[in-house]
Amino acid sequence: MQTAESPMSTRPAAGTPLLEVDDLTMEYETENGNVSAVVDVGFTLNAGEALGLVGESGCGKTSVAMALLRLQADNARFRHGEIRLNGEDLLALSDVEMRTHRWSDISMVFQGAMNAWNPVQRVGDQIREAMDLHIKPQLSRAAARERMEELFNLVGVDPKMLDRYPHEFSGGMRQRAIIAMALSCDPQLIIADEPTTALDVIVQDQILHQLKRIQHELGMAMIYISHDIAVIAEVTDIIGVMYAGRIVELGTTKEVFERPRHPYSYLLLNSAPSITGPRRKLAPLKGEPPNLLNPPTGCRFHPRCPFATEKCVVESPPLEDVGAGHLVECWHWDQVPAITEKGVA
Amino acid sequence: MTERVDLEEPAAPGIELPQAPGGGPVVQEPLWRIRLRLLWKASRRNWRLFARNKIGLVGLGIILTFAVVALIHPVLMDRVWDPAIYHPVKGYDAPVAEYTVVEEVTDEFSELTLQEAQIRSNPFVRVGDVLSIAQQPAPPSRTHWLGTDPLGRDVLSQLMFSTRAAFLLGGIAAFVTVFIATTVGSIAAYYGGWIDSALMRFADLVLLVPLIPVLIVVGALFSLTLPLLGVLIGVLSGFGGTAIVLKSQALSVTVKPFVDAARVAGGSNRHIIFRHIIPNVVPLSFLYMMFTVTEAISLEATLSFLGLMNVQMSWGLMINVAHSQGYLLSGTSFWWLLIPAGMAVTLLAAAFFLAGRAMDEVVNPRLRRR
Amino acid sequence: MVKFISKRLVQMFLLFVIFLTVLFFLLEAQPGDLSQQYIGNPDIPPEAKAILAERLGLDQPLWGRYMSYMRNFFTGDLGVALSQYPTSVSSLIVERLPRTLVLFLSATLLAYYLGFVTGKVLAWRRGKATEYMLTLGGVGLYTVFYPWFALLMIWGLGFTLSNWLGLRVFPIGRFIDTNEWTGGPFTTNQVFSRMIWVAALSMIAAAVITFVARRRLEYPVAIRVRNYAFLGGVILPFAYFVFVASDMRPYALDILQHTMLPVLTLTLVAFAGIMLLTRSSMLETLREDYILTARAKGLSEKVIRDKHAARNALLPVVTSLVLALAFVISGGIITETIFSWPGIGRLLFDAVILEDIPLAMGALSIIAVLALIGHLIADILYMYLDPRIRYQ
Repeated sequence: MQTAESPMSTRPAAGTPLLEVDDLTMEYETENGNVSAVVDVGFTLNAGEALGLVGESGCGKTSVAMALLRLQADNARFRHGEIRLNGEDLLALSDVEMRTHRWSDISMVFQGAMNAWNPVQRVGDQIREAMDLHIKPQLSRAAARERMEELFNLVGVDPKMLDRYPHEFSGGMRQRAIIAMALSCDPQLIIADEPTTALDVIVQDQILHQLKRIQHELGMAMIYISHDIAVIAEVTDIIGVMYAGRIVELGTTKEVFERPRHPYSYLLLNSAPSITGPRRKLAPLKGEPPNLLNPPTGCRFHPRCPFATEKCVVESPPLEDVGAGHLVECWHWDQVPAITEKGVA
Repeated sequence: MTERVDLEEPAAPGIELPQAPGGGPVVQEPLWRIRLRLLWKASRRNWRLFARNKIGLVGLGIILTFAVVALIHPVLMDRVWDPAIYHPVKGYDAPVAEYTVVEEVTDEFSELTLQEAQIRSNPFVRVGDVLSIAQQPAPPSRTHWLGTDPLGRDVLSQLMFSTRAAFLLGGIAAFVTVFIATTVGSIAAYYGGWIDSALMRFADLVLLVPLIPVLIVVGALFSLTLPLLGVLIGVLSGFGGTAIVLKSQALSVTVKPFVDAARVAGGSNRHIIFRHIIPNVVPLSFLYMMFTVTEAISLEATLSFLGLMNVQMSWGLMINVAHSQGYLLSGTSFWWLLIPAGMAVTLLAAAFFLAGRAMDEVVNPRLRRR
Repeated sequence: MVKFISKRLVQMFLLFVIFLTVLFFLLEAQPGDLSQQYIGNPDIPPEAKAILAERLGLDQPLWGRYMSYMRNFFTGDLGVALSQYPTSVSSLIVERLPRTLVLFLSATLLAYYLGFVTGKVLAWRRGKATEYMLTLGGVGLYTVFYPWFALLMIWGLGFTLSNWLGLRVFPIGRFIDTNEWTGGPFTTNQVFSRMIWVAALSMIAAAVITFVARRRLEYPVAIRVRNYAFLGGVILPFAYFVFVASDMRPYALDILQHTMLPVLTLTLVAFAGIMLLTRSSMLETLREDYILTARAKGLSEKVIRDKHAARNALLPVVTSLVLALAFVISGGIITETIFSWPGIGRLLFDAVILEDIPLAMGALSIIAVLALIGHLIADILYMYLDPRIRYQ
């Protein structure tokens, strides 16, 4: 929809850095102590790219997503770090300034987005609310309506439903409508947090492909968050694997899938059997995610790592470039085997 | 060649239980002992949860204080106080004080108008005379810490005596409410269908009708004694709002798998209702018991304030006696006739309410703060 | 929508019939029969007694009496007030009903509006100190023994304030100062009706303006229009009595003065309950996902609070309207009794004290009707507010 009338034609050219996150560290203050939820997270996302953040529940991926929009919980504290959108540090902005960026530059599709609708307002009114706020000059009622109908067509929902209430939509329709609303102000970046978790597999597939198509068509950047690595693989260009609040591996999707360099990524990829591929011995992940009130010393993964040594308990590994921009935090990345057709090498 | 993945050896067909030395099952404790121990553990945990809410503790503290007062009073009457003076209903004491006859009264406790003096003493007094007249009601003094009421009875004794009435009433009302509401709610939830509809419609009707006007009329037609009022409140409450709440609680129990299991195992309807559903509903009903007591205390006080109760002495009645004799609307001088009694009602009713709310957090895990 | 209302009306009617029946059996259950009442009363001439006996069907079996009772009721013949013979019950009720309605309506509306706004604002602000104070204060007002509270209000705002200020702001009780009215050109009903009419019309006008504004204008402007409209609606009656009907002014002022304290007392206690409920409802609503969405959209805190959170938090509060009604009605009766304010509640109480059964029954029935109507309005309101219910 990048027509001449598009209000936000000031999109940076594809390939230029859009979002730069540097050393982001965040803690939650609870009555039992401080939970170290996000530690030294950093990545660069270019315009038009799709980044996937994958990891178990509680690894901090949603916290990062919330931080990007400054929607963090009341007891969350930023210890240090920067989030730069087109060069501007979002963490340094006032509340009022941040509000102008929300939805118009970065929008979000939440986890369980089906409940993200206000039950007493019509869906169309809720979408228009965001547009009225951010699109300047404000669109007339007719123009807004036209745009919303275009959006609904784009995501595959009957435009007549704009006048209905959320409870009249099915789960899948609500999800699509949420995507439409996320697109309404033509953002540069959309964050999709587990966008398909609560849906059945068929609808999941449809929505994923729709999202990918839209992303390419509109040239938007996307951040996909999921615990389902198969989903992430389908739609992303870059993957970041998170564990216990840290990004332990970051690289192109192809690279990370074919040649994971972190034991955790390896185990994650290997924990699901393949239906079509050959039978291979599964390498399940022992143990549980750590308690972030009192995280493990050194490398946070060492209690569950098959490759762990003394060093891993004592020292936290630095982020290393192992070739072509593929980053990993592990002392023993060279020992991590490749995933071949035959199974464990 | 793909590797064969071996599963673990399946367990031997004859599964063996761990044996105690000398044979027999390991667990020797009788069932009732185990149940008791679990109950104790659960109570301790619930108490800790309850105690987290300071306000609930305040409420509980107030209730206990009142309970102690109620228990002390008979002892006081027996050992310490002279019943002729201190009996809440039949006692009489009117300390004598000096009154000056004046044109215009500025101090109610030491001055009288000519007219009043003529009534209370003799028709021949004149302005300027100083008379010795019994004070009735008398302000607080050393012998009567809260003074006396218009009939010469000790206010403190009345206050303490009425506590008993309040607890008795509250207890009856609460018990009846819980009994009826639990049964009604469980039956409605279990049988569903038209029984459910009918009972809930009825509950709507009961909720609809404002209690005070109905009780006013009932109080006029029949003699309202404390037990009768308790039962009435219990019935009306039990079929009304409480039934609705307990029904949804019972419903959530009814749909649990273990109820189906019980049915499949051949349990009769009655058995399931009494052995499975009701025990799971009872904790919540204890909660509502607290709120019923709050309501009952306030209702009784209001009714006896209006003079419609057939009760020997209660807080509401204390205010009624003072009000009907005009002592409360002639100014603010007779404060001891109004403040203590009303305060007692408010405090005790509020205490049950606060304790109930704190209990809500125990029973309703949703409300707990992490 | 129409189907729903008509179904509800039928249900209400049935409930009312059941209520009357229960009332009838209560009457019957009383020891002695009604004729004793009449025989004892010297004001009633013997012929009238015979007629009454016949009308009440006292000589007939139970079923006959029941039919007479029902028939009388629905033809509007509520009987004659024994304590005020020969005034009819219906005329007494008609005279007093508007007053009670004023008391109930103003207390309910004020309590709801203030309670909701306060609860909404206070839920937004968390903090240990405010929470404790609010809970304690709110619960205190909510559970206070109402007659006691009313008397304390009289003591505080009636006696003490007047002594302190030297002038009588709040009269102690009653409806008017009879001294000032004797020999005057107006009756209380005349002035009171005029007051009600003017106030009602301005409120309706304000409501209509608000309704239209909501439809046509954008949200922030519409809210401003609403505020001004209601401000005007409140000022207009005063202006009316100052400029237009200035001869009625001192009398209207007298009635107003006497009405303020009862309304204030009832409002305060109802307000506490609603504030507590709104606050907890808001706190629950704030946990919902759509609040997060609203924040993500970049809306300001105030808009989120009012347009999204409060609007949803309103639903349980409206549901509680039914319970609040029962409270306002009960509280209203006590208020009228203590303040000697001549409304239906006081009528009921006096009738009961004087053992005037027809009057008591009539008053009680009207109160039941009010409760039923209130319930119906609450249901309709809820249906309007919650679209999920609408399309059942």
